Amino acid sequence: MAPSLSTASYGPAFWAKTLAVIATVGLSLGPVTLLVLTSFARHWYWPALLPPEYSFRAWKDIASLSSGITSALATSAGIAMLVTVVAVVIGLPAARALGLNEFRGKRTVIFLLLLPVLTPPLASTMGVHALFLRYGLTDSLVGVMLVHLIPTVPYSVLMLSSTFTNFDTNWEAQARTLGASPLATWWHVTLPAIAPGIAIAAVFAFLISWSQYLITLFVGGGHIVTLPLLLVAFQRSGDQAIAAALSLVFLTPTFVLFATAARFLKPNPSGR
Amino acid sequence: MSYALDSVRRSVHLRIALMIAPALLVVGVLFVGGLGIAIRQSIGYFPLIGEDDFTSAHYRVLFDDLEFHKSLALTFLLASASTAISSLAGLALALALRDIARCNRLLNALLQVPIGIPHLVMAVALLHLITPSGLIARTAYAAGLVKVPLDFPVVVNDRYGFGIIIAYVLKETPFIALMVLGLLVRLGDEYHCVARTLGASSWQRLRYVTLPMAAPAVASGALVVFAFAFGAFEIPYLLGRTYPAMLSVVAQRHFMSPDLTERPEAIAIAIVIATITCLLVWLYMRLARTLMGVEKPMIF
Amino acid sequence: MRQRCNQLTILLRMVTVGTMVLLAGCIARQPNSRLVLTPSEFAAADWQEVVRRSRDSLVNFAMWSGDEERNRYLRGKVADELKRRHDIRLRITPLSDTADAVNKLLTERSGGKVDGGSIDMVWINGENFRTAKQGGVFWGPFAERLPSIAFFATQARLQDFGTPTDGYEAPWSRAQFVMAYDSARVSDPPRSIEALCVWIKSHPGRFTYIAPPDFTGSVFVRHLLIHFGGGAKACWSVFNRELYEQASAAAIERLNDLKPFLWRRGETYPATLSDQNRLFSNSEIDFAMSYSPSFASEHIARGEFPPTTRTFVFDEGTIGNYSFLAIPFNASNIAGALVAINFLMSPEQQLDRVRTLGDVFPLELSLLTPEERRQAQVLPIGAATLSADVLAAHLMPEPDAEYLLRLEREWLKKVLRQ
Repeated sequence: MAPSLSTASYGPAFWAKTLAVIATVGLSLGPVTLLVLTSFARHWYWPALLPPEYSFRAWKDIASLSSGITSALATSAGIAMLVTVVAVVIGLPAARALGLNEFRGKRTVIFLLLLPVLTPPLASTMGVHALFLRYGLTDSLVGVMLVHLIPTVPYSVLMLSSTFTNFDTNWEAQARTLGASPLATWWHVTLPAIAPGIAIAAVFAFLISWSQYLITLFVGGGHIVTLPLLLVAFQRSGDQAIAAALSLVFLTPTFVLFATAARFLKPNPSGR
Repeated sequence: MSYALDSVRRSVHLRIALMIAPALLVVGVLFVGGLGIAIRQSIGYFPLIGEDDFTSAHYRVLFDDLEFHKSLALTFLLASASTAISSLAGLALALALRDIARCNRLLNALLQVPIGIPHLVMAVALLHLITPSGLIARTAYAAGLVKVPLDFPVVVNDRYGFGIIIAYVLKETPFIALMVLGLLVRLGDEYHCVARTLGASSWQRLRYVTLPMAAPAVASGALVVFAFAFGAFEIPYLLGRTYPAMLSVVAQRHFMSPDLTERPEAIAIAIVIATITCLLVWLYMRLARTLMGVEKPMIF
Repeated sequence: MRQRCNQLTILLRMVTVGTMVLLAGCIARQPNSRLVLTPSEFAAADWQEVVRRSRDSLVNFAMWSGDEERNRYLRGKVADELKRRHDIRLRITPLSDTADAVNKLLTERSGGKVDGGSIDMVWINGENFRTAKQGGVFWGPFAERLPSIAFFATQARLQDFGTPTDGYEAPWSRAQFVMAYDSARVSDPPRSIEALCVWIKSHPGRFTYIAPPDFTGSVFVRHLLIHFGGGAKACWSVFNRELYEQASAAAIERLNDLKPFLWRRGETYPATLSDQNRLFSNSEIDFAMSYSPSFASEHIARGEFPPTTRTFVFDEGTIGNYSFLAIPFNASNIAGALVAINFLMSPEQQLDRVRTLGDVFPLELSLLTPEERRQAQVLPIGAATLSADVLAAHLMPEPDAEYLLRLEREWLKKVLRQ
């Protein structure tokens, strides 16, 4: 049994815990609150601690069609959805192979999959750009989607392989012995078991694609405008309120998806 | 008999290969291929600007350039500092929250919030907060501590890159904390109970049970944070100094120059970043198995 | 669990269908022969023919997007009017730096992408135009054949920072460098460059300029170059090596001399116009500068600058220039670009734009109809904007682009990196 709080009274442990909770709350709610305030502030300059005037202007501008935001939103969402689908579809078989088997060269494969995830995309994107230029893929949605696959596919494989590691193939074997076809087995036995893993991998793949900036800029040539590009443009143009409002719009799917994924993930899996 | 086993083994290997193939194809063509093309361009095969022959000139120019060395040193420094601080802070946060986080879903959810905030947005938020005319400075003004923005200590676009470190620390501390918490919660309490039964003090429990348990999570987290801080672009771009700038900013500046002959230099810098990162990942994978018995970083 | 499975299935199906639809829409733009024409075809064609060909098409306009008012105006009112009149859809591709577009075109040209380009027209001038023209990435010549060119003065059409336009770009708008200050904070602003230097030294930490190669920072240091090279009297329209070396040495020396007295002791500079404006709004610096004479009034109207902000120009004059519209060599919609450019240049559009954004009126008054002339003369200006007469009296033309390029490089090497 863990030491209960009641025995700790007000010792250092208590203060450490309190500090930690405050830090957590501050870290998570701080930036968001700041953004909300800025988005509603008419102008908020030194030395005002709180915005002296509020207005809906930034939000009205965002909602209006002439801001280019709705099309950037659609582009970002479309690309991210497609990339997620492809990443999961490609990732599932590879993850299964990786998660359930030991084979020579497995560590090399893992290393090869880790590299695109951890390596900054600058160099590979510069090279890919030259390649795409030759095949007319620059400035195109297809080209941007392809580059988005670079970080998402390996990430999905590695995430899903953990799911498969915890998956007991005996369930499948039992279903087969009971006469189920491979497809039925996959549908009724495997898929439900790995569904939470797929959901999490899909959420992360979506979010990775959703927040890409540099690679979209390089390969899309500024022609394919996604939300991050627009965000940087607004930030640089000095309109703080719109930049803040757009940041919040940008964050919304993130939080929605996290919340959805949390429903799939049991809060505290212990002793699986 | 062994022939049958061999053929089974071969067909299993074939199946494995086929299953992994699509993913490896994507990585191979796009990532390794892209990297390969970039390396080729940096050593002289760059038809775009009319270069057609092997040359190490671009790298030589780079290594002779003082700005490159300053940027390299700065990048290492800032990445290391950010990693060290956020690892320690994340570990401390996780240890402090260990008991509460177990049963409190809200806290877990709150910890995930900063992870969802992209670095770009965090940089924007920080620009409102820690600049000499930002919220913290204004609070100091209201408290009578400063009279003009000039009096407030400078942490953005400053010589030591404090703003960059702050941004990374604020973003990555919850990340590491979450990883450590996840691991600790998963591993459970039995070892701690046993240790207490055997008469270990809090400090001894911490040192001999908790920290070794948390180590894989901290190490993986540190690897990810360092790799990211080393090569990421948005935060140093918005919060850093014009000169010397972190390597990724310098690379982007050269790449976007209308003078296309600067491009190989940009690519060379990017290759340097990529090489250092790849080395790091390789080093990690070698050490991780021997020191901690894990196959791959624990973020997955 | 089963229900969740079904939900997953439905989601997967929706996404797959959506994927197919998206993919179908992804097929690369095929170059439309109706919209593409060669320069010789254009020279031989009738203007109405070009207008007819451009109907119901999309034009991608790449322009510097650092001013949100301007972006909104172009995306909104201008695009609507263009659609109404010529049935052309205008789509803005934002650029944080026009050099990015030049870079892209140069890359595409070397990479062999000769058609189906994603940019149809570019807002450009100065050294960017020079680099682009040298790289052969513009379509033309076309400017002299546009009906609206008749309203521009000759000197506006012929050269751009010393580079002959040769009809590869058409003039669109005008700009002139001004300095802004808050009259409540600074009661007696310095009126010349020497006076400014004295002011900077007596008010350490209260002045800065945007780092070149940003165009506003670049023009500021150009003023010092001209100042030390003998002022506007010297001949700056052609590059003169001795003049450059003498003037730049003195200018760089002065800039380094001032460095410790600048904001942040000159160790860092604001990177963009909006960074500078933010510093000014937050009272971190006491002066702001811009190529747009009406920028202070605009910011006052938006509540970003204090209402006591005013602008001034140096007694010895400030640099002004024209900026232009050009068509990339591989544009997908050349007919549409030609019509859109002509539309933007027209007096009616110019009057509307100046009325909305407060730009300097770029057309030659004597070439307009009496009604248009009257309207141009009664254009309202903000409280913080100088009158057209004052601006014209203090106008200096841009030096040759070579001065700019070399000075920017030297600034980076000798001022920033010291």
